[in-house]
Amino acid sequence: MLADIGFFAVVIAFLLAAYATVVSAFGGWRNRPAWVESARNAALLVFPLLTVSVIVLVYALLTLDFSLAYVADVSSRAMSPFLRATALWGGQQGSILFWAWLMSGFVAAVLLRKWRRDRDLMPYVIAVSMLTTAFFIGLVVFITNPFARLWHVFGAEDVTAAVFQPANSMPYLPDDGKGLNPLLRHFGMIGHPPTTYVGFTGFVIPFAFAIAALITRKANEDEWIRTTRRWTLVAWIFLTIGLILGGRWAYDVLGWGGFWGWDPVENAMLMPWLTGTAFLHSVMMTEKRGMLKMWNIVLILLTYSLSLFGTFITRTGVIGSVHAFGKTAMGPAFLIFIAVTFLGSVALLFNRIKTLKAEHEVESFVSREAAFLLQNMLFLVIAVAVFWGTVFPLISEAVTGTKITVGPPFFRNVTGPMFLALLVLMGMAPLFAWRRQPVRNLFRAMIAPLVASLFITAVWGYTHRMHPGSIVGLWMVAFVASAMVYEFWKGVRARMQSRQENPLAALANLIGRNHRRYGGYIIHLGVIMIALAFVGDAYFKQETQGTTAIGERLTLGNYSLQFNGLRGYPGSDGREVVEASLTLFEGERRLGELSPRRDFFIVQQQPTTIPAVYSTLGEDVYVLLVGWDGDGRSSSTFKVYINPLINWAWIGAVVMVLGTLIAAWPGDQREASYVLKAGALQPQPATGG
Amino acid sequence: MVEQPQLGAIPALIPAPKRRWFSRGGRWLAYGVLIGLLSLFAWGLIKANSGPVESGMAPDFTITGYDGRMVTLSQLRGQVVIVNFWASWCPPCREEAAYLEQTWRKYQDKGVVFIGVDWVDTEKEALAYIKEFDITYINGPDVGTRIGEAYRIQGVPETFFVAKNGELRGVHIGPLKPPQLDQKIDELLAEPYPGQ
Repeated sequence: MLADIGFFAVVIAFLLAAYATVVSAFGGWRNRPAWVESARNAALLVFPLLTVSVIVLVYALLTLDFSLAYVADVSSRAMSPFLRATALWGGQQGSILFWAWLMSGFVAAVLLRKWRRDRDLMPYVIAVSMLTTAFFIGLVVFITNPFARLWHVFGAEDVTAAVFQPANSMPYLPDDGKGLNPLLRHFGMIGHPPTTYVGFTGFVIPFAFAIAALITRKANEDEWIRTTRRWTLVAWIFLTIGLILGGRWAYDVLGWGGFWGWDPVENAMLMPWLTGTAFLHSVMMTEKRGMLKMWNIVLILLTYSLSLFGTFITRTGVIGSVHAFGKTAMGPAFLIFIAVTFLGSVALLFNRIKTLKAEHEVESFVSREAAFLLQNMLFLVIAVAVFWGTVFPLISEAVTGTKITVGPPFFRNVTGPMFLALLVLMGMAPLFAWRRQPVRNLFRAMIAPLVASLFITAVWGYTHRMHPGSIVGLWMVAFVASAMVYEFWKGVRARMQSRQENPLAALANLIGRNHRRYGGYIIHLGVIMIALAFVGDAYFKQETQGTTAIGERLTLGNYSLQFNGLRGYPGSDGREVVEASLTLFEGERRLGELSPRRDFFIVQQQPTTIPAVYSTLGEDVYVLLVGWDGDGRSSSTFKVYINPLINWAWIGAVVMVLGTLIAAWPGDQREASYVLKAGALQPQPATGG
Repeated sequence: MVEQPQLGAIPALIPAPKRRWFSRGGRWLAYGVLIGLLSLFAWGLIKANSGPVESGMAPDFTITGYDGRMVTLSQLRGQVVIVNFWASWCPPCREEAAYLEQTWRKYQDKGVVFIGVDWVDTEKEALAYIKEFDITYINGPDVGTRIGEAYRIQGVPETFFVAKNGELRGVHIGPLKPPQLDQKIDELLAEPYPGQ
């Protein structure tokens, strides 16, 4: 049987991963290169083996092999082949296998690179990464096995799922599967899990290097940071994409008109993202100035631990969430693994703390060092606040006996001002010089963007007078955007003057010569666009709900919607669709037709509300079909939102990906940063970086 | 290896770092916080895996009905309370709806209170459902699914039985069929309560 091949491939992969962990740690400890080499070969084999089992599972999903409990659970005849394949991560068993597979892929990729300078880190990198991989494969083998079959035990009411045939039983083959949760059938939810998993699993690489550097007492050298920079960046951008796809999915599917709800599951993803972002910035301090060495280690330990913690709370239901994940038996195992990771890495850090020494101290509050430090602090404080709010229901229940859930207002009020401070800091950071500078110079550098942003804000404020709060928000966005544009313009102008290049060539060369720095600025531009979407969401959102008869109109802002009727028809993937037909007008100008729907999935007995959206760069008109009278001939009820500027969130995401690609583009940047370090005593120009 | 030519040249600029935060006390504090957090998660895990609340004091809540009536569970001491979680989109709830209403009418003057908690629903459908089954006991939305969370329900319908003293006397998962509810109510009404 094919499923047996998949199962045995996982079992062998588990044994190899466990072998690699032990043997590489021993080889590193006793300095036996042959042992390490053997462990490396074992580690490299894990990926192809897991690939085999992933292929087997996808094949089973595609061919609807309902003898497998997992396939019967997440796949069904009514689903398209594409959806069946994505069901690989539609349920827990498949997700964990997929997760282990991705992680082993990362580890294989890192082991195949050239190990020149940092060969002595290798044994422990293998040990740490393989320990984690072995844990996840272990979950697949022992606790949540996607290759378990359905059996009918004589005398029992329910069927049981087990890998091996239980006594007194016969195989059970359902006619059809339950199929993927209807809510998950959306491009955002199809793309969200894999990108998130790549992000989460990718952080194992910098984590393993950090632990290896601590063990070998090499954490004081920056080698591990240089080696893992791109890995971190890749993990980070995937996590970012995952967050945004999740937001997009919530916006399109959950039908509450928003994209971020501060739900525990969302927070679980946000926390490692916050500390990971802080880490990406703080490593620059280490590379350029030899500072914050312990801090980096703390941040990467935190990022990785928070990724594990996030998976733990989302998958075990420790903290109640609107996201319906099934409860499982993997909670205790996960908790033990998290305890080992937390306590082990903290103990190691304390043990090696003396090896971490900063080469410089912050010399002035008006310096790029101070700005980086402040930025790092802000990220960390936000992460702590989010953590506190997420865990609070548990704490309150443990202490007082009643579960108190802190809602979105807590998170908004606590983190909002800090995010705004981060935003302003992001705009100012390029204007700061390393080490120190006269305050006068800083102001001089700030004048142009400041004037530009005040002008933009004045125009905006004049045209949108009713929202004072939005003016502040917009000023911040405009300030940072102009500071960024100004930064590009300064670089382009310098090249045009010194090398007589035309503006476009100057821009291309500017980015090409220092892609890491300008890639970073482009990422910041993306962030600004997303911030713009948040400003729109916070201040300009409008909503209404109303019941209209056929031919009548529902009005919101400048828009009105005319209800033309309702129709029902059987849809694809086993659903009954009820669709309303509406005509959208702006004033008296007809803009188009909108068809919000209510899909009822027959097998799952689950309705989903699918909004219709009229989308422009300025705003979205977002319509939900809430209900109808009887057969819908007379009237229907709609909920309508105007979501201003929301498209900038998605555009910003694309810009961020672009910026990351530029920043991570191969090319040796090492020399540039060495030069800076060596020349650190020379006064730097204000734009030096 | 990394070259750092400037390091030796300016010893005065590099004061020896002080590591006061990580004195022995600081370390124990760090371990303490970590272990505290881990035990919290362990406790949460045990709780999450223990299924719906079935015994002990019934988690208190206040619900505002669709008709504006308000009721708080803890103020109903001395009466038997039936808490039923339902939703208009849930077919099994329809199976039990008529039986629930019929039982309520039978017992409403005998010290029994029914509370319908409408879980993850929209008001319009909910009102239509209430009208369809002519439900007269209080029914209100579970705003933010707080009540469902407190009772750790797995889905709908689920019915919790609260004794006169406010303690839970079990839960029924899935639709109730005659005479399950009558039996349970008779059993709970028979319990003594001080002052009755």
